[in-house]
Amino acid sequence: MKEIPLQLSLSQTQRSRLRAALEKLQDLASKSTASVTVADTIPVNHEDGILKGHGTSEFNEEVVATVCGVVERVNKLVYVRTLRARYIPEVGDIIVGRVLEIAPKRWRLEINFSQDAVLMLSSMNLPDGIQRRRTAVDELNMRSIFEENDVVCAEVRGFQHDGSLQLQARSQKYGKLERGQLLSVPSYLVKRRKQHFHHLEKYGVDLILGCNGFIWVGEHVEPKDNEMVEDHQKQEEFTPLETRQHICRIANSIRLLSALGFNLSADKIVETAEASMFSNIAIKDILGAEFCVETAETELKRRVSKRRS
Amino acid sequence: MVGLSIGEKKFIQGGISQDLRADGRQRRDFRPISVEIGVIPQANGSARVKLGATDVIASVKAELGRPSSLQPDKGKAAIFVDCSPTAAPIFEGRGGEELSTELSLALQRCLLGGKSGAGAGIDLSSLVIVEGKVCWDLYIDGLVVSSDGNLLDALAAAIKAALSNTGLPKVSVDLAAAKDDQPEVDLSDEEFLQFDTSGIPVVITLTKIGRHYIVDATSEEESQMSSAVSVSVNRRGQICGMTKRGGAGLDPSVILDMISVAKSISQQFMSVLDSEIAAAEAAEADDA
Repeated sequence: MKEIPLQLSLSQTQRSRLRAALEKLQDLASKSTASVTVADTIPVNHEDGILKGHGTSEFNEEVVATVCGVVERVNKLVYVRTLRARYIPEVGDIIVGRVLEIAPKRWRLEINFSQDAVLMLSSMNLPDGIQRRRTAVDELNMRSIFEENDVVCAEVRGFQHDGSLQLQARSQKYGKLERGQLLSVPSYLVKRRKQHFHHLEKYGVDLILGCNGFIWVGEHVEPKDNEMVEDHQKQEEFTPLETRQHICRIANSIRLLSALGFNLSADKIVETAEASMFSNIAIKDILGAEFCVETAETELKRRVSKRRS
Repeated sequence: MVGLSIGEKKFIQGGISQDLRADGRQRRDFRPISVEIGVIPQANGSARVKLGATDVIASVKAELGRPSSLQPDKGKAAIFVDCSPTAAPIFEGRGGEELSTELSLALQRCLLGGKSGAGAGIDLSSLVIVEGKVCWDLYIDGLVVSSDGNLLDALAAAIKAALSNTGLPKVSVDLAAAKDDQPEVDLSDEEFLQFDTSGIPVVITLTKIGRHYIVDATSEEESQMSSAVSVSVNRRGQICGMTKRGGAGLDPSVILDMISVAKSISQQFMSVLDSEIAAAEAAEADDA
């Protein structure tokens, strides 16, 4: 589940094209934000009296940044929001995580946060859909719901008093994810939106963009109540080849977009996958040099035209 | 080691039986490879090879030494591999030791040949300067910087690139100075002899998952393997060494099949690697 850096053997022209496109993209972006690197001075008005927040320090009576990121100001507080940091949860976020261990009445999940998240047995619907008190028997059968290493989709419920992060999965759309692959991208590339579950009907693919940067691409499954029984018969057969091709194409599009550092939205991902299909590019060549340059140039054109209109 | 849920394991196995792996490759496709040479200025030769998210560095250090009395007409070469704790948390402390030893042994078997030095990919007799008196000792070190499967192939490729980057200083020996003791040697600062790498094999690892086998497995795929066979093949298509990992047994006919597949793949891989090394050499010459 490593983030795949692009290994491009670019030709001379491709390299200059890519560099030009990325530079122009940077020019378009940098006008709005005050991004700093380590040891950059942050301009402040000392007369107002300021509070130095995270990622800042005082040096020779100037406020300097100690991390790379974007300067944020909230009233008197000045801090630097770091890039490429770990995921910072907010209540209501939809996340994808992996079960690390089963503890009494709870599962512990890895969600790319600075600590493990907790999913209580009481804050999820039982597979048979009954709302009732969780008994000791339920507690003993927790492994039949989620095992170690299972990929689980859930929602951030909130922080407890002791600072631990609580999750909930009180709906049929949450739960175990099977038959697909989990990708990990920097979490800042996934913006919070209204919709994080996407069923791409044309391809029969489910796409879940977790706010924590874990992205699930898998075969579409209808949410249903009592899946426990028939589960085991269904496991024997593999994903159909055609669906698998779509899954791999979409997954590779996500890998490419995240390597180029573009925000990930379902539209953008599908657009990239369709562009690759349109120009007859093999699935493994999506990560190749030519398509990478083309994608960067398309994105540049899109942003330029958006700016004009 | 990566933990995978049952659903993901099934997905990987299904992909391999349908000849479409998770990143869109087919069973016999390598990931894109990139080669950088001359990354360690202190070494006589060095190279860094990236194969997808796998990242390894190899360096070659040459020292003047004395050939062993049993083989006065041959130089010495030794291979060591180290797994950096930055690659995976389990490599911290002594955690990577087992894997390091396994990798070094496999590479020694694949590149150095038997104890007698016969069948070696690295021509040890070219390392002799004065028979029985002076020879080059080659210390070949591999470092795993980031691990995403198929370490052996990447290390072998890095060693091949590092050796092609190696220049051994020209040595002039004054035999008259001392008859029975070590003769006096003089190293040239300007003239370097290029190391002949045409005979150095590449290693192709075939990982068996389910009923099929694949090349260049990622660590996710490796976690599903039943066994893996690494074959080292030289430019002429000859087998220089073999190692098998994994607990499950293999039918002899499967092994023969694997060897012939490895042989045909090795020729493609060798030409890709050669062109990457040439490109890296050109890039380095541009920088200088």
